Amino acid sequence: MLVFRSEAHVDRWLAGRPGGATIPITKLAELAQAWWGDRLAPEWRPHTREQNQAILDRLGLTGPFWRLD
Amino acid sequence: MLASVTLGVYDRDAMDERDIEIRNATYGHFVELGHAPMAAEVARTLGQPEDEIRAAWRRLHDAHALVLDEAGDIRMANPFSAVPTSFVVEADARRWHANCGWDAFGIGAALHVDSVIETECADCHEPLRIEVHNGRPKDKDHVFHVLVPAAAWWDDIGYT
Repeated sequence: MLVFRSEAHVDRWLAGRPGGATIPITKLAELAQAWWGDRLAPEWRPHTREQNQAILDRLGLTGPFWRLD
Repeated sequence: MLASVTLGVYDRDAMDERDIEIRNATYGHFVELGHAPMAAEVARTLGQPEDEIRAAWRRLHDAHALVLDEAGDIRMANPFSAVPTSFVVEADARRWHANCGWDAFGIGAALHVDSVIETECADCHEPLRIEVHNGRPKDKDHVFHVLVPAAAWWDDIGYT
């Protein structure tokens, strides 16, 4: 789970290896807000798999790569 | 390179309310200290024996609610890292290490404050300084790559 200057740098880093998924850091920031926003709340309870899948789905992170099960 | 935990595949039945109290105290120390607490520190805070803290940490580890190292000490309390990484986050006038790019954005999100992430491009190693204001990065050009599919994130959480 790494940060790159651009997609061209991801391609160079992969050097022909099969890659995973690349998203803009603007999308990553949205994902972080949804995923971690309650992490320090006193009433925190672990997210269910369904809750986390719903976060990914809501942000358009869909398809087999983003399935948690 | 160490990456994230993150992933939300908890075994909720493996921890009870007492474990969550210990978990919350552990996170509270991490936030206040800027580094992972020792079991003895959490034990003093809660007035409980250190052995009980360590037993709870083990259950929380097994439930994927935090990650212990081989010695049984805190390695990750996501998004916070107990060991130095290439993701340094400054927020609320303090600094922490994050486990990966996702977690780096997670620290400001968890604290509900603006943050500055200092890292580097994983390819060319050029330093990157990412300012996050109101949850949005100021520099929008960078990208994030996840190598491992979501279903396998917990197979090797240090690699993911």
